[in-house]
Parts: sequence; structure tokens; C-alpha cells
Amino acid sequence: MRPRAFALAAALLLISCSQSAVDLQDAAAGDILKTAAAHQGQEAVLINFWATWCVPCVEEFPMIVELAEEYQDNELKVYFVSVDWLDERQKAVDFLEQHGVRGVSFIKNQGDDEFIDGISREWTGAVPFTIVFGKESGKVVDLWEAKKQRPKFEQAIEKAIKEEGKT
Amino acid sequence: MKKSLMLILPLILVTTAAAGELELGSAIPLGDVKMTDVSGRKVSLNDAMGKNGLLVIFSCNTCPWVDAWEDRYIVISQKYQKKDVGMIAINPNAASRGNGDGLTDMQKRAKEAGYTFHYTVDEGSQLASAFGATRTPHIYLFSKEGKLIYRGAIDDNARKARKVKKPYLINAIDAMIEGKPVSVTSTKALGCGIKFAAKE
Repeated sequence: MRPRAFALAAALLLISCSQSAVDLQDAAAGDILKTAAAHQGQEAVLINFWATWCVPCVEEFPMIVELAEEYQDNELKVYFVSVDWLDERQKAVDFLEQHGVRGVSFIKNQGDDEFIDGISREWTGAVPFTIVFGKESGKVVDLWEAKKQRPKFEQAIEKAIKEEGKT
Repeated sequence: MKKSLMLILPLILVTTAAAGELELGSAIPLGDVKMTDVSGRKVSLNDAMGKNGLLVIFSCNTCPWVDAWEDRYIVISQKYQKKDVGMIAINPNAASRGNGDGLTDMQKRAKEAGYTFHYTVDEGSQLASAFGATRTPHIYLFSKEGKLIYRGAIDDNARKARKVKKPYLINAIDAMIEGKPVSVTSTKALGCGIKFAAKE
């Protein structure tokens, strides 16, 4: 009986894990840029760098999730990159789950200096940080530090989809 | 006309790019501006200058990266204030004075953490703006001549001081005191975005 109960519990755990659907992958800057580049010609890409204990990051996060849902059938892919400490990755997973984020997200696993410059020379290291890549060119069309309101995101996304150049 | 515009445009772009962070070799900006210190006294960067240089840290009360690096503040202050390097932490978070970054909060933190250096209020984030500082902690080191010789991170491991492989700031201070050139003059680290007064 006991082995059977154990097997059942294990099966339930597996099912529950597969349903959580958050795939938080360790990543260096190059991995993230490679992922963004894979969308060139198909979708614009918005990447948001955040941390669970970063108040402005957490404040703007739900709005970005909303945008990701609104645009998902309309030429935009959104990725979230956590800069939480690696040994606190479960907090990031929990947060993503709570906010309904599905699929691949990333957590930084590289030294700050290399990571920041690897993403963009224009990023000073402050978070939150958001970078947007154009649909056709795959090039950066906008980037910014600090929390911003929805219109700023919408403007950048529209430009990335239509490739009107950096704001 | 078109030709002259083509010549001017790159200059404008360069100027815009350079308007960001304080350039190496720059003099101390707003050196005479008096700020309220946790001691209650008014202190300027010129007041805080030591005979061998000045270490400026944009810091705050509400950032986990500051929490992680703060043990290094204490070690550095104990080691280098004795060697006549002035040290000042500046709180630029004008938009969160009522939310953990007010003077009373700063006084409490300075006492609890054992700060033996100035910790001042940057009214309206004016010094942070003049420096082009963007995050906490954000470091600027000035030589005894008052020129910027290092900017960026304290070291390469916020969380574990004993696992630091690249002590950027300590290396820069040591070189400064010995009158040698600083080998790594600019680095980056993650940090909490400064909470400037709202303008969006």
C-alpha cells in the first residue's frame, strides 16, 4: 500500500510540475540575445530584466504580462529575465507562476559586468531594464531603465513591429 | 546646407552620448552644494574630501544590492579613512523619502550598520543627476586633485565578500594612494534604479 501511495504521489507531483509550465533557464547575455535573434523576421521581441525584490520591477510586471497576452497573436514575443540571486531561483519561479507567465524565462548566471555589457553597452546596470528588438531587422529599436507606464511600452512595441527606428 | 547638417549631426550625437555618466578625468560636480548629513550637519563633497582623495557612493536604505555590499562599505571606510581618503554616501532617492529613504530612516541605518562616514540627503537627486548616476550602489572615486579616476562597482560579488575575485574599488584606491595609474577605471554592476523625482 505504501509503495502504491508513494507512486501516486510521485505521479501527481509530475503532473503538477508539467502544468506549472514555467521553464526558468540559466542564461548568460549571449544566450538571451541568441534567443531574441531567433525571432527575427517573425516577431518583435521585448525583454524585461527584473527581480522579485525590486519594487518598481514588481509594480510594472503585471502590465507587461498583459501586453504579452494582448500582442501574442500580433507579432510580439516577450521574455522575462530574472536577476535574482541564483540560490533564490524558486522565488522567481513562484513569482512567474503567480503572474501567469508560461514557457521560457531566464535567470542570470553570469558576472554583472560581462552580463550587462553583453546585453547592451547602453545599459548601466539599473533595474528594471527593458530592451525591444525590431521584427524585421532584429536590431534594438528601444531600451530604457526604470519603471515606465504602459504608453511607453506600447509606443516601443509598435515601433518594433513597424520598424520605425529607435525612439 | 545639407553638407553642414551632415557634419553637425555626428557632433550632436556624440554630445548626447557623453551627457550620460560623468567622464573619467572630470572634476567633482556640485562640490560646494551643502547636503544634510545623518549627523544633522550640512556637508558638501568638498568638505568630505580627504588629503588623498574622495570616495562617493550613491546609496540608499531600500535596495537589496546595497544590503549585500554594505559590509564592504564598513571594511573600506575602516581601512582607508585612516589613510586620508574621504568617504561619503549619498542617498539620491528623492521619490521615496516617505518610503524608507527619509533622513530619520537614514540616521537609523547609519547607526545600526556602524557608518563612520557621511551619509547625506541628495535633495531633488541633483547630485545624482550631475554625476549621471543611475543605481545604488554606484561608486565614484576622485583623486586628491579632485579628478574622477574610477567609477562603477565595488567588486564582482555583491553577496559574498570572501568570494570576490576582482576588488575593483580597493585596487583603484590602493593605486590612487600609491600614486600609480588605476588599471580598471570603469565597471558595471546591477543595482536598484535611483528613484528620481517623478517626471514621466
